[in-house]
Formats: sequence, C-alpha cells, structure tokens
Amino acid sequence: MSKVFGSGNTACALAVKDADVDFVAAYPITPQTAVAEKIAAYIAEGIMDANYLPVESEHSAASAIAAASAVGARVFTATASQGLLYMHEILHYAAGGRLPMVMANVNRAVNAPWCLYADHQDAVSQRDTGWIHIHTASNQEIYDSILLAFKVTEEVQIPVMVNYDGFLVSHSMMPFETLDENKIKEYLPPFNPSWRLHPQWGGTFGNVTYSEQYVPYRESLTRDVKKAGEVIVRCAKEYQELTGRWHGGYFDVYRLEDASFFLLSMGSMGKEMELAVDLLRKEGIPAAGLRLRVFCPFPKEELSVLLPDGAKLLVFDRNLVYGSAAGVLLQESRAALYERRDDLRITGISVGLGGEDLPAVLLADRARQMIQEVEK
Amino acid sequence: MQEIRIHGRGGQGVVTLGELLAKSAIKIGKEAQTLPFFGVERRGAAVKAAVRIDDVPIKVRSQSYKPDYLVLLNENLLEIALAGGKADHAAIIVNAEQPLAAEEKQWIVGATSIAIKNNQVVGGEPFVNVPMLGAICRVLGIPFAVLEETLGEQWSGSKLLPNIATAREAYDNVKEVEYKGGPQHG
Repeated sequence: MSKVFGSGNTACALAVKDADVDFVAAYPITPQTAVAEKIAAYIAEGIMDANYLPVESEHSAASAIAAASAVGARVFTATASQGLLYMHEILHYAAGGRLPMVMANVNRAVNAPWCLYADHQDAVSQRDTGWIHIHTASNQEIYDSILLAFKVTEEVQIPVMVNYDGFLVSHSMMPFETLDENKIKEYLPPFNPSWRLHPQWGGTFGNVTYSEQYVPYRESLTRDVKKAGEVIVRCAKEYQELTGRWHGGYFDVYRLEDASFFLLSMGSMGKEMELAVDLLRKEGIPAAGLRLRVFCPFPKEELSVLLPDGAKLLVFDRNLVYGSAAGVLLQESRAALYERRDDLRITGISVGLGGEDLPAVLLADRARQMIQEVEK
Repeated sequence: MQEIRIHGRGGQGVVTLGELLAKSAIKIGKEAQTLPFFGVERRGAAVKAAVRIDDVPIKVRSQSYKPDYLVLLNENLLEIALAGGKADHAAIIVNAEQPLAAEEKQWIVGATSIAIKNNQVVGGEPFVNVPMLGAICRVLGIPFAVLEETLGEQWSGSKLLPNIATAREAYDNVKEVEYKGGPQHG
C-alpha cells in the first residue's frame, strides 16, 4: 500500500495498472486525456505489462477492447462525453455479447453547444445499453471502484462503466491509497474466462439469431443486470474486509437518523451534499443524503427500504430529460416508488448542467425550495 | 478549513504550485485538496486553482468563493482575484516589490526578481511558482524543512538546488506590509 496525492485521472490510471490489465485501447478526450496518457506512459516505461492500441476514435476503442475481451483478455478503455456517445453502438454489442469489460467515463456535458465541464448527460444516455453504471465521488473511490469493477464484470459477464465528474474530480488532487500487489491478487485473481474465442476451438460470436434465440439472450441479460447489483454490494463488502475501505453499497448514505427529507444525487454533487445536509440539520430540518453509487441496475427495492413512512424524496439530477422538469434519477425514483405513491412525496430538479457550480449553500437552498413545494 | 486561491497566468505553473502546497500540508498531518479551474488552456490566459487544507477529509467539490488567502503570481491579477470573491478577513500574498493598492492585509515577495537572480528563467518566463510556494508556506506556518522535502520529491539533481534556493529566499524575505497610498499597482 502506498499513499498518493494525485488527481482522479491518476487514481484511475493507477488502478488500471494495478489490476494487471492485458489490453487497453483509448482515444484521448477532455477531461479524460490524462488517463489515456498515463496508461500509455506506464506501458512505455515498462511498469505495466499490457498491449496499448492508440486508436483513431472511440468507436474503434470500444470495438478493439470488445474483441480483445472475446479472446480472453482483461481489457480497459476510458472516455468522456462525445466519445461515449460515439461508442454507443458498441456498448450494446458488448453487453449483449456478455463481454467482461471495464470503462472509465469522465462525466462531461454533451455538445452542442460545446462544453467541457461536469454533467451526467453522457452516462445517463447509455442507461439502456445493458451496462452496469457505477458513480464515484472521490479519488480513493475511483481507485477502489476500478478494482471492484473488474471483479464484478468478470463474475457477471456484463461490462461495467465507472463514472467520475470531469474536472471536479478528474483534475482535483486528493490523497488516496493504492493496494499491495498480494492483496490485489487475492481480491482480483487472474482473469479466467468461462469461454473465449480461440483458433483451435470451433465456435462463433454474435451470430445471426431468430427470436427463439434472441429473446432468451435478452431475458438472461436483464435478469443478470438486476442480479449484478447484489454482486456489486458483495464485492464492495469483500473489499472492505480486505482493506477497511468502504464507500457504500448501492448508496452512500449520510445522517439517516430521524430523517424525513432525503436528498438523492450522484457523483461529486453527492459528496458536497453532505455539507448541505449539515447546513439544513443546523436549521432543524431533518435532512439526509443519499448518494447513488449504482445507477444501473437502479436499486428500486433498496431505495424504498431507505425511506420511512411519509418520507419526502428530493432528487437532484445532473442531467435533463428534455420536455420534463428534471432528469433520469427523478423518473427512475418515481417509477421505483410507484407502489408507495400515497405514502411518499417525490420531487426533483436538474442542476449543475455543463459544470454549473454546486456549492453546499446552493444545494441547501434548492433543497429548501423543494421542501416548501412538498410541504404545500 | 483554510482555503487558498491561487491566481496566475497559463504557463506559470499554478497547478504545480497548488499541488506542492497541498503535498506540504499533508506532510504536517493535514488533509488537503486542490481544485484547479481550467478555462481555455493557453499561455498567458488568467488561470486559478483552489487549495484546501483541513484537519478532516475534505468534502467540498465546488469552486472557491471565499478563500482565506488570495495568492497572486502577478500583481496585475488583483482585480480578477478580488472579483472572484474572498473571505472578509482574507489576506493577499503577492509577487510584488511594493504594496498593492488594496485594503486587505498583504504579504509581498519579489518572486520575479528572486527567480531571475537564481537563473530560474525558461523561454523568457521567470519561474515564480516555487518562490511563491516558499512565501505561502512561511505565511501558513509550514516549516521550510517540510517544503524542502516536497521539492525533493518533485525535482532532483541540478534542477532541485535552484528550486530550493528560490523557495528559501522567498520564505525568508516575504513580509507583511500595509498599503499607505502612493503609486497604484495592479
């Protein structure tokens, strides 16, 4: 274990190095660029033993790692914003093909107009690709979640996207600890795929199907995505036993005691939200923070369990569902809690788009406005 | 929590200055975080970075609006820095030979002349970030031996010695001053 003071992108690249990845393909894009550069440097310096394919686009990066995964390699890529959108077709292919893959997505606004700053529109636009989405809020959580993502993806054979906010986390330097090689080996043994493409073994991949074959594939994918939530929580607990480090299961919860207002958010906003909860509690408002870590599969039952009778859920979305008042988290929450529609009050807003800054005072202010609304 | 907002120009090493300051704070047992703000990335553009130092892990994930210290790598950044907000009690630490025309408590250090004197000039640009780091550490009460250790992790051999020299000179010569009228700076 060594202590590092570095950026979120450094934490990500170090975790990829330490995870003993075999194959990386990436195309640099702000604010992910340092990840692509650092991994290339580790390989060039000989401190990481992997093949690096500098591709001409994100579509090719995703295609290349999907192919490498299909022959049994442990694979990684990283992107952001337009790069993730450009991968969209291959994201479906990878999840449908049940290919273990890990990607870091450095959350950034999507164009037009051109914008480089933090926003979750890129990630939530990939909600229905079949990928598992994890959202993080600190450099330590990035490092730990990348290792966790490899463990999860290789068990459930569904690709995993680890998200962190552009600049606010990717370029912010914080102290974090890496993990000793022997502990990593214990947590994440070498990848031993249950099947792989091999010239000496017959077989095809992704061949033409009729609905008789296609439907069972889709049914098994949706069933397994749902079950993957439990695997994530179990792997997080195993990681905690090994390292003492815990960032939450489905949620990172804050000050739940006697709470009646629950402030739900994702990413860096969720960490700052703890300070907003402190401000509200000082005024006597029984607020709690729920930072969602697992966006896909959306933890419907687990969200419901966290909310006592009569609870008010205030949702902060860093994305927008066009034509609606707020974003995807509000929609998902309302759908998840439909059975409790007479019991709970749920409202939400979109904030922080395009990197709009979200200091705790602003978050607390928005929470007060929403509280007025639900108390009407 | 102590918050320091550094203002400089693209190419002056603002991000590195923030990093080395935070690393020095960690060495004295503090928690620290840097949050640089990137606009258009080009030489000469005004850039800024926040450094936060605390006794507990830092949860802030937003920009700096009320820093306890404003650090100016050029005195002509005063207006920009003040417009960015500060705490009422904030002090200014500035690369200047004379006090700035500002009512805030000020610490001044001639970082440009220290860099030139020690041949720390590359491409016509004096390296003012390391002497400014020396000055900030002095103001914040971070021992010079700690700073020297940080510099030793960043540079080695012939690059290290002049950096230690400029940091030392600024550490020893930064002084608290008061603006008493006279020619305007900034």
